[in-house]
Amino acid sequence: MSLNLRQKQTECIARMLNLNQPLNAAGTANEDVYKILIYDKFCQNILSPLIHVKDLRKHGVTLYFLIDKDRKPVHDVPAVYFVQPNVSNVQRIVSDASKSLYQSLHLNFSTSIPRPLLEDLAAGTLNSDSIQRVSKVHDQYLEFVTLEDNLFSLAHKPCYVQLNDPSAGDKEIEELVEKIVGGLFCVLATLAVVPVIRCPRGGPAEMVASALDQRIRDHLLSKNNLFTEGGNFVSSFQRPVLCIFDRNFELPVAIQHDFRYRPLVHDVLGLRLNRLSVQGEKGGMRSYELDSADSFWVANGSLEFPEVAVEIETQLNKYKKDVDEVNKRTGGTHGAEFDGTDLIGNTKHLMNAVNSLPELTERKQVIDKHTNIATVLLGEIKERSLDSYAKKENDMMVRGGIERGDLLGVLRGKGTKMDKLRFAIIYLISSETINLSEVEAVEAALRESEVDTAAFQYVKKIKSLNVSLASANSASRSNIVDWAEKLYGQSISAVTAGVKNLLSNDRQLALARTVEALIEGRTNPETDVYLSFDPRAPKSGSGASSSHLKGPFKEAIVFMIGGGNYVEYCSLQELAQHQQPAKHIIYGTTEMLTGVDFVEQLTLLGQKMGLGNVGSSSTPAQ
Amino acid sequence: MGKARDRTEDFKDAVRHTARSLGYDEAKLASVMASFIIHKPPQKSPFSKAALKTLESIGELDQFLLKHRKDYTDLHRTTEKERDSIEHEVLILSERLHSVTAQFDQLRAVRFQDAINKAIPRRKLNRVARNDSAETSKSSDMELREPEELRAEPLRVQQQLLDDETRALQVELTSLLDTVQETETKMVEMSALNHLMSTHVLHQAQQIEHLYDQAVEATNNVELGNKELSQAIQRNSSSRTFLLLFLFVLTFSILFLDWYS
Repeated sequence: MSLNLRQKQTECIARMLNLNQPLNAAGTANEDVYKILIYDKFCQNILSPLIHVKDLRKHGVTLYFLIDKDRKPVHDVPAVYFVQPNVSNVQRIVSDASKSLYQSLHLNFSTSIPRPLLEDLAAGTLNSDSIQRVSKVHDQYLEFVTLEDNLFSLAHKPCYVQLNDPSAGDKEIEELVEKIVGGLFCVLATLAVVPVIRCPRGGPAEMVASALDQRIRDHLLSKNNLFTEGGNFVSSFQRPVLCIFDRNFELPVAIQHDFRYRPLVHDVLGLRLNRLSVQGEKGGMRSYELDSADSFWVANGSLEFPEVAVEIETQLNKYKKDVDEVNKRTGGTHGAEFDGTDLIGNTKHLMNAVNSLPELTERKQVIDKHTNIATVLLGEIKERSLDSYAKKENDMMVRGGIERGDLLGVLRGKGTKMDKLRFAIIYLISSETINLSEVEAVEAALRESEVDTAAFQYVKKIKSLNVSLASANSASRSNIVDWAEKLYGQSISAVTAGVKNLLSNDRQLALARTVEALIEGRTNPETDVYLSFDPRAPKSGSGASSSHLKGPFKEAIVFMIGGGNYVEYCSLQELAQHQQPAKHIIYGTTEMLTGVDFVEQLTLLGQKMGLGNVGSSSTPAQ
Repeated sequence: MGKARDRTEDFKDAVRHTARSLGYDEAKLASVMASFIIHKPPQKSPFSKAALKTLESIGELDQFLLKHRKDYTDLHRTTEKERDSIEHEVLILSERLHSVTAQFDQLRAVRFQDAINKAIPRRKLNRVARNDSAETSKSSDMELREPEELRAEPLRVQQQLLDDETRALQVELTSLLDTVQETETKMVEMSALNHLMSTHVLHQAQQIEHLYDQAVEATNNVELGNKELSQAIQRNSSSRTFLLLFLFVLTFSILFLDWYS
């Protein structure tokens, strides 16, 4: 069984649009039933990466509305609702039923609707004498946004601030954990798998893992089990492992500048729900869609940006060659000779040209799209020196330090205020020990650039309080670098720097390395102390460390609490492809964050702790 | 495949529970629960009936095409006349649908023209409203002059500030209303243009179909031409043979006559 989250969620949505009846063999709905789709803002974000408007037509949806919009009655048509179970949506549904807007209402809630809310719905429809309008009520367990085949987001924001807020009470933390557990449960229900859960000890990861384990256990005991497909005694080879981490496990990944295509597009241009708006060639804004239907994006998203530019050039040359070949075979050079054989050949070539024209047009559109995106990216890279930031930050993470002159030079050079703040935070995290004079010089340089230093001071504070943050980062350095450092002395530091530059491209994220150890089941001093939860095992045997739990896994689900990004996703996909035999890794997070988004959350936390520029109400400009 | 959990039974339980708490008696509760099971047959509007009838016609057309697909494509099963009759029946409904669509687009164009005309008088009303607001501000200024003599200086300054803020807010809201109305007018025009474009696209589809037919006919003509050329080449070859034979016979005739005399 291959876990393809996007495909499974799309199938669930298609069945929901078919009024929860099985689809026929063609995969389309019964053509005699037309219906109206009503969703709220959150469910719109769930639907838009998966279903296009023309796909809605195929499923018989003729109209689609936001639930909060005023809608006119269409008496003969059933309505399909896809909303979150909350009070305002329930009240809105009751209002629609009392006005008799539609023939019947098929209610689909994105996750399980609690009993009190269901009773409110019953009371409202009963009081307005419209109980007969409600045809069906379903829990869909689809409350997550699937961006790619192996990438999902729970779209909770801003999660990191709530988890790390010093003034947050236990009740708020528990509500947040329950929300995350609900989202993860929806993902597992859609995939119809019961995973083995691994997580580090302590912190939000353990809270989420424990609550999720209990939730799955309770559900397995109840009737109408969502996981009955799996059976009770599947072998460990077929069950995936769910690895839950906290953002503080590897903080610099969320802040660091990266130079691969997919992370760059997300970080610099603001990719959101697989859509992108960039400045067009003639000044207007152009909107593009980047998803699994774009073969260029799928094939080249993990490349470094210069390689992507070369690939665009290659595709363009190939396209031009194909167009020239089509023109040559159908062109006028043969027209001068009035010969029977050539005329027959010309006719065939003409037919081939007409048939290949749509494919060529589509390829041209893809090439134009990525050419425009690459052009805008290149402008941003030059304006902000992003290549320099990415390289220097990578050097700092690998080497653990930077020359003071380089450090202050970057902070006084090109780049937005956020770029400098991110660079300073990476410097702070990558240093083994805090050099007070250097830190003060960095803060002075940041203030010269009018940067709000609340985030910087917050990271400095948690670094001094939490040594494990530093140890996690120091462990992320490659062993090869240590070997290279021993072999070459300082007398040939230039050669050493060159070697490190080559090696730095192969640096693995701590997350990818840890996930690799968990998948393989190897003995590892870091991961052996991780907690294990098996919802299918008897709870009394929780102390037993059977090899069954730690065996090699074929599939994995990696979840990051507090925000994630495409850098981690690309790293995990590379890990999955390089394994022998090939593994399958799904990456998920509470929220897809750019570096700027995350630093803004750090700034908020710093301000809550009373750090930063007191009285300064200006927000950092981008 | 993940499954959706059916909560309709839970909903019915909640309805039953809530009905009892609201004081429903057993008979009324039974009738409410019965409305779940026996849904009232919906009253279809005439438009829906006509639309469903059209859909049935299209379905019948689809069945007709499926039924005659093999007949149409197999050369031996049908003659050209039968094939023409199949095309004829299909094209009747197709042309009728096109004509209905064209009429509908004309009617809609009239409607949008009316909408555009209605948008223009609203601008005039807006001008009248602005004149009224100007007069209101003038009268408020006149009212403020009398209390100036009685009130103290700080109150006068404060009232002046409030008046300025009110006037600025009024100007801002008026400009916002103008912008919204302008946007509405543009949206209506865009909608009309979009429907015009749809009509033109349908027309172009017909033209493209005509071009395709002409291209197919041209291909057939080219094939016939090639066939004729091949036959001409063959006849040229046979005529050469006949010419040689003719010359040979003439030569031997002359030799025979010379020998005989």
